[in-house]
Amino acid sequence: MVEFKDVSVTYSSGVDALNRVNLKINDGDFAFVVGPSGAGKSTLIKLILKEIDATSGEVTVNGFNLRKLKRRKVPALRRTIGVVFQDFRLIPTMTVYENVAFVLRVIDAPAKYIRSRVPYVINLVGLSKKAKSYPNELSGGEQQRVALARALVNDPQLIIADEPTGNIDPALSYEIVGLLKGINECGTTILMVTHEHELVRYFGGRIININSGNIAFDEVVGGTNEDQ
Amino acid sequence: MKISSARYLIHQGFKGIWKNRMMSFASFCIMLVSLLMVGMSVLMAINLNRIISGIEDKSEAVVQIKDGLSEAERDELEKQIKSINNVHTVEFYSKEKAWENMVKNMSKQQQDLFRYADDNPLPDTFKITVINIQDMNETTTLIETFENVESTKSPTKLTDVLVSLRRLLVILSGAIVIALIIVCLIIISNTTRASVFTRRKEINIMKYVGAKNSFIRIPFFIEGMIVGILAAGGALLLTKFAYEGVYNIFNDDFTLWTVLGVSNLYPFKDLFTKVAISYVATGALIGAVGTSFSTGKHLKV
Repeated sequence: MVEFKDVSVTYSSGVDALNRVNLKINDGDFAFVVGPSGAGKSTLIKLILKEIDATSGEVTVNGFNLRKLKRRKVPALRRTIGVVFQDFRLIPTMTVYENVAFVLRVIDAPAKYIRSRVPYVINLVGLSKKAKSYPNELSGGEQQRVALARALVNDPQLIIADEPTGNIDPALSYEIVGLLKGINECGTTILMVTHEHELVRYFGGRIININSGNIAFDEVVGGTNEDQ
Repeated sequence: MKISSARYLIHQGFKGIWKNRMMSFASFCIMLVSLLMVGMSVLMAINLNRIISGIEDKSEAVVQIKDGLSEAERDELEKQIKSINNVHTVEFYSKEKAWENMVKNMSKQQQDLFRYADDNPLPDTFKITVINIQDMNETTTLIETFENVESTKSPTKLTDVLVSLRRLLVILSGAIVIALIIVCLIIISNTTRASVFTRRKEINIMKYVGAKNSFIRIPFFIEGMIVGILAAGGALLLTKFAYEGVYNIFNDDFTLWTVLGVSNLYPFKDLFTKVAISYVATGALIGAVGTSFSTGKHLKV
């Protein structure tokens, strides 16, 4: 669960990125975060990952009160969150398998668990045949699926997808969001930041619109795919 | 930490050297040269110290004793002098022997002149060496208070020079070593910073998936340590060849040391273990600490 209570962020440059934001994303929710550039979407994500601290107000993520969370406890928070970036951020010198297994190694998971869990997740995103390939041998859509597998492998409570379809073909975008929807149906909370209104309209669900640091709109809407 | 994780981290350390071989090679070369400079400075200081010690051992004070002492009185005085803590050796030098030596060192004309002298004007003396040359003056002053002592003579100027020289050597070699180690740390830190910079993406991803700082640092730490140890090995070999070359020149062809009556250089085999341990420990430490400095910046995500 993610909860913002009266959260404001003012950067050292004097820019007010968020103004007294109140927001609650319950466990198992799927929410799109939309809004123009500079609206405060990235600030929202940075706060959840505790890359930055709120100037005022309180942020709670998966049971962690981020105001009280010490620096050395940040890894414990991040282990409950999976992140998918627009630019994939795969390690080019590692194969698909190694990129995904890397997360489990980082959290000191047993070798036996790594050997069973990694192929399972790679299979979930449909890349079993490419497990030994390197990122530069994959298409944009495939690379984003590897990033998704990496976010998923640790079985996080929350997945943050920061414009995951920004660097891939529009057709493949639907496939990626479809995968995220599937993951959400298994109980994982998903927060997806996007600029693609077509995609949001198609899938529907909870839409949070941020504008000038304020929540301008927060409603559940039906998707056009449901009409078909 | 699980054994499999430890094995993974060590493996990553080794892999890192190969993956960033150009940077690793640059670090290796810089560390090798730095260790070589530090090592050579220390070896030079050690040997200079030995030479100074050699000169110190040979500086004697002369105790002139009163004329007409009986053998028993002379033995008693010798015992008294020997009982002083700072006195190392005491040697009796009779007036007859002194006369004989003096005449032997004269020109023929002078010898003819002195041949007919019927009285030996020289006194009986004790030649003493001290343990701590810094306390030579105190020792001779104390001896002068003994009943049957006429006077003492000690090479005070030489003593002062040697004491100052030794003090200067300690300060100078210490300063050189500290300066070189600091320079080495800065260079290594900058070289590895470039290597870490190329892997900042990797570090960034590690931070996002919840890696602890120690997990990120360990492979870099191991990498730095291995490069440091390899550089220490290289520096040890080069030091051995260079030192033995210098040692052979001084021992085979150069007789200045024997002319001066000072000690020879230490043979390298006597210093090998100390040099090897110092090189490996310093190399590993500089490598590890240097990389730690440079990873720190990228850990603040």
